[in-house]
Amino acid sequence: MSGREQISNYLKSFSRYLASLSSEDAAEVIQEIESHIYDVIDQQEMAGKEANIESILAGLGAPRVLAENYVSHIQQGTPPPKGFRPLTSVTKGLSKTLYWGMLAFGYGTGLALIVLAFANLLLPNGIAFWVEAEGNSVAVGFLSNPILANSDATITGLWITPVALVSAYAISLLTYRILALLKRFAVGYQYA
Amino acid sequence: MTEASNQSAKWDAQLRKGTLELAILAAVASEEKYGLAILNYLHSFETMVISEGTLYPLLDRLKREGVLNAKWHQEGEVRPRKYYSLTESGLERLHILRARWKRSVVDMESLLADTAIGEGNGADSVTETGKRKG
Repeated sequence: MSGREQISNYLKSFSRYLASLSSEDAAEVIQEIESHIYDVIDQQEMAGKEANIESILAGLGAPRVLAENYVSHIQQGTPPPKGFRPLTSVTKGLSKTLYWGMLAFGYGTGLALIVLAFANLLLPNGIAFWVEAEGNSVAVGFLSNPILANSDATITGLWITPVALVSAYAISLLTYRILALLKRFAVGYQYA
Repeated sequence: MTEASNQSAKWDAQLRKGTLELAILAAVASEEKYGLAILNYLHSFETMVISEGTLYPLLDRLKREGVLNAKWHQEGEVRPRKYYSLTESGLERLHILRARWKRSVVDMESLLADTAIGEGNGADSVTETGKRKG
């Protein structure tokens, strides 16, 4: 592997671990580290030595550890003004609860819809929607007795599969986006 | 590495943890410097040999705290470099930390003077403390 490839791989890996920084902050941090690497290479070459890329990258440490040092500094942040600390801890705790709650709910719903889609292919008349109370209440479930499918309030059919898959994709995507926002908010709110 | 030099290295590392911020503020006090220049400058002192992985995140923190200014400069064909300098608040913090450091040195000197143990084999290393390498 060439020196440039080693540097490129290091920076790519480093950038992945900086995901909790804003894109502008991460880009600036990466640019500075890249600038440092090439400065050291120039310095070694000007001293008549062959640039040792491995040793330069080793000086920076593993990409994950270097990124953690940056992120931990940001999480530590500037001390808040008097009286602000309790509010900060509450917000941080809330963000954490919200993050994990959203993760469980969003991906759980997505997974349930995917299971529903495939179950509908295996049991075409065994999965149904029930519409009750003049459309005010909708339920979905397995039919133990397919005769019930004749009821006016029961809807079955193969169309449930694509609808469930599209819904699962949409819910998972939405969950992913919301989690990314929550993660950024939980880390970077001190500087908002 | 001998036991004595191992202990010295551990002691240096412990001491640096508390004094690194002061060292960095002092390093950019007289003129603005970019990362590698700060690192080379600190490495010219025996007890200030820190890694790049320690320096850059700390510079980033000091910038976020508003004690350092950071500006990208490009001179001629050389690639852009991020130069750090002290802000007003940084200069103020440097004065405070320097005063506390001097106080600590005086206190420690008094404590050591009060001990009955002589300098013995450590005398040489004591006289070397703080001296610039090379």
